[in-house]
Amino acid sequence: MTSDTPTRARVLVVDDAATVRMYHNSLLGEAGFEVSEAANGLEAVEAALGTPFDLYVVDVNMPKMNGYACVEALRSETVGTAAPIVMISTEDRPGDADRAYRAGANLYLVKPVAGDRLVRVATMLTADRSWAAEKDVAA
Amino acid sequence: MGLVRKQAPQEPEEALPEGPSAEILLSRLDDPDPDRRRESALGLVGAPEAVPAMLARVGVEEDPRVLESMLTTLAAYDTEDVAGGLAVHLASDEAGLRTAVAAALATMPRSFPAVLPSLLAAPDHDVRVMTAMILADLQHPEAHTWLVRMICQDPHPNVVTGAIDALLPSATTDDVQLLLDARERFPDDPFLRFTVNAALPRLTGTP
Amino acid sequence: MASTAATGLSDGDFIRFAEYFYKRTGIHFAAGKRYFVDKRIDTCIRNSPYDTFAAWFAALRTSDQGPMLQELINQLTVNETYFLREDYQFDAMLSTVLPNVLAARGGVGRIVGPVKILSLPCSTGEEPYSIALRLLEEWDQIDHVDVEIHGADIDSEVLAKAAHASYGERSVQRVPKAWMNKYFAAVGAGRYQVDEGIRSAVTLHKVNICDTAAMRSFRDFDIVFCRNVLIYFDELSSRRAAENLYGAMRPGGYLFLGHSESMSRISPIFTPTRLPEGLVYQRPTGAK
Repeated sequence: MTSDTPTRARVLVVDDAATVRMYHNSLLGEAGFEVSEAANGLEAVEAALGTPFDLYVVDVNMPKMNGYACVEALRSETVGTAAPIVMISTEDRPGDADRAYRAGANLYLVKPVAGDRLVRVATMLTADRSWAAEKDVAA
Repeated sequence: MGLVRKQAPQEPEEALPEGPSAEILLSRLDDPDPDRRRESALGLVGAPEAVPAMLARVGVEEDPRVLESMLTTLAAYDTEDVAGGLAVHLASDEAGLRTAVAAALATMPRSFPAVLPSLLAAPDHDVRVMTAMILADLQHPEAHTWLVRMICQDPHPNVVTGAIDALLPSATTDDVQLLLDARERFPDDPFLRFTVNAALPRLTGTP
Repeated sequence: MASTAATGLSDGDFIRFAEYFYKRTGIHFAAGKRYFVDKRIDTCIRNSPYDTFAAWFAALRTSDQGPMLQELINQLTVNETYFLREDYQFDAMLSTVLPNVLAARGGVGRIVGPVKILSLPCSTGEEPYSIALRLLEEWDQIDHVDVEIHGADIDSEVLAKAAHASYGERSVQRVPKAWMNKYFAAVGAGRYQVDEGIRSAVTLHKVNICDTAAMRSFRDFDIVFCRNVLIYFDELSSRRAAENLYGAMRPGGYLFLGHSESMSRISPIFTPTRLPEGLVYQRPTGAK
């Protein structure tokens, strides 16, 4: 990252599959993001209560708390983040994307997601972090 | 004011107040109050006559906390009836239902093998991905073998990567060729390639 | 000491072990804890019939909930209990949780019934008596509100000790001297007994946290401490224990787990809440 960006964008990768977390961590880490991991929706909520993130990358099928419920909790008063959320799923049935957007996701992608695509999406979504000043910083 | 002892004289621990009967609890499974439904489902532990009624409600219960308590009680049976009754929901369009059911099945090592063949043959690849998720947590000596079979035989790359993820914690050098073959079968899947490449040094002991 | 290298965990071994332990217990060991973890694993292997990490780890994974896992957890978690342990949670109780509880129940003047606090498992009593000490000494509302403290455990031997409430130097070493003088009496042989006033204010119960029928007699607790026990349970038992705790709590009530524990590996029924002192769980107020 250049000196224009004093802090690297913080990303939380939420997936029950350790290999997926490692993959996304590696892709985003190499692209300059500061990556943390959570293995289910509840862990993500607990992590977000600790420190807010600039971007959430969330799987759908996870034990304990699935991706939709996780996104709803991130958007609800439990966490109340306005940060962008990308949902990534193996599911490509009709209606799934709608469900993701209703929960509060900003983007819905279907696996497998090419590495460069994920990085481009993450870069685009975190380019403008002005929302952070409005909401999360106050928290 | 201040610290006070519980008002009633301490009851002898054996003389617990008699809880509601299974019959009453069963009728409360349809109570409009979700807390009462939750307590009924939880209280029906050890009442096998309640299993069919609870299985019938797994697919229709809308409160996630009530669903959790029903699954906590049902999974304790670990019978083929329960496993079969739960496994049908792995294909559900409701993410909350299919993931909760998967977590319950993962705690049923005695009966899950009975439903495994039909799940491995499910036409919906998402069901097979969920099956790999279950095998990742299932405490069963054959789980590794079943995952190996999925990795060798499943035609869908997402199922194979799911099965590899589930296999890796227990993988050994014996599984190296299996991973190399999987990588070769799906040369265009970047995630599968990454996963295999990341796992190999650990398994072969080379940096 | 010299034998720590005997089992020689590779980096890959450590990662696989940490993943397994995390999955089983929800406790995460960072790479920085490597030395600590290696030493404890080494102890477990030396106490086992296995010579190598690989053989021991394979047996551990196969037996899963057996005594091997129990021993490992004992090794990797500090089990010793003493007065004012994990004190920051009592800080949270005093500064944030109790004011919230009072506000939710109508305020000091209008609260109906006592504030109820449960320590489960209470073991030999250090935790419930610590709660009593901190309330009496540091909570400015203690003279205006009734507080009931309950301790419960499955083990009748530790409950008998809790009822007797006499402790060695080591157990009370964190208790301020002024509190010692005020609430403890030296009973000889380096032991100190909690005074009758506090002992009689704490109600002790024998209960199995996984027994739904027995847990039904626990109701409407505002604050529950359930520290360092759920990690010992298998998946279904910890789920049932969490459900039983939920049933024992008032909607909006607070649940404290041990500092390295998390509900995220056990059950989604509670709502996590961030306090300045750390994470705590609440029974949601939404339904009933």
